[in-house]
Amino acid sequence: MQNNIAKFRKEAGLSQQELADAISVSRKTISTVETNRFTPSVIIALKIAANFNVPVESLFILDEAD
Amino acid sequence: MSNHDIKNEEKFMGQNAWFSLFMGVTLLIISVYPLLTQTSAPLLFFGTAAFLGSFCMFVIRGGFTWKMKYHLTYKDEYLNTIDTIAYKHVVLGLLFSMGGVYLFSDDLALEVSHTMMASFYLAVMCLIYGVSILWQSKD
Repeated sequence: MQNNIAKFRKEAGLSQQELADAISVSRKTISTVETNRFTPSVIIALKIAANFNVPVESLFILDEAD
Repeated sequence: MSNHDIKNEEKFMGQNAWFSLFMGVTLLIISVYPLLTQTSAPLLFFGTAAFLGSFCMFVIRGGFTWKMKYHLTYKDEYLNTIDTIAYKHVVLGLLFSMGGVYLFSDDLALEVSHTMMASFYLAVMCLIYGVSILWQSKD
């Protein structure tokens, strides 16, 4: 699964730590989600989407293999 | 969960990983050294002192008090995931080390005590846990 979180985060001018603080997760969570090493739960996905005020479908893109 | 809790958990996990590594090395020395020198008393004393010293150092420098509650799971999703994976690595490592001992330990059987073997297995578990957490925590 691919995601556009880094793109949205940079557009919003946020660091990984600032985004992590905004949704109450660790910075490593953001770092590993952005680099596709960790797939977040629905709760975290919805929190990130709500933080950027976009639908969750615009953040995550399913691969053919998923 | 507050950001303060998250940062505490991150700090606690980092301290835990380094503490496991230090304890693992100490236990490894304690378990292997007597084989080489045929005596364990001085090193056992040194190892225990080093272990207690490192434990106090991590507790004091880490800012943790005796009142800090220990939870079996981390509240942060990612930290909890890597903690669970680290325990899986520990089980796998323990199985392989026990398999290795089962296959190759006949020559040592008369020289190795149960205490030394127990220390060796604990050392393997601590080392694998520490390395696994640090490896998974890298950016």
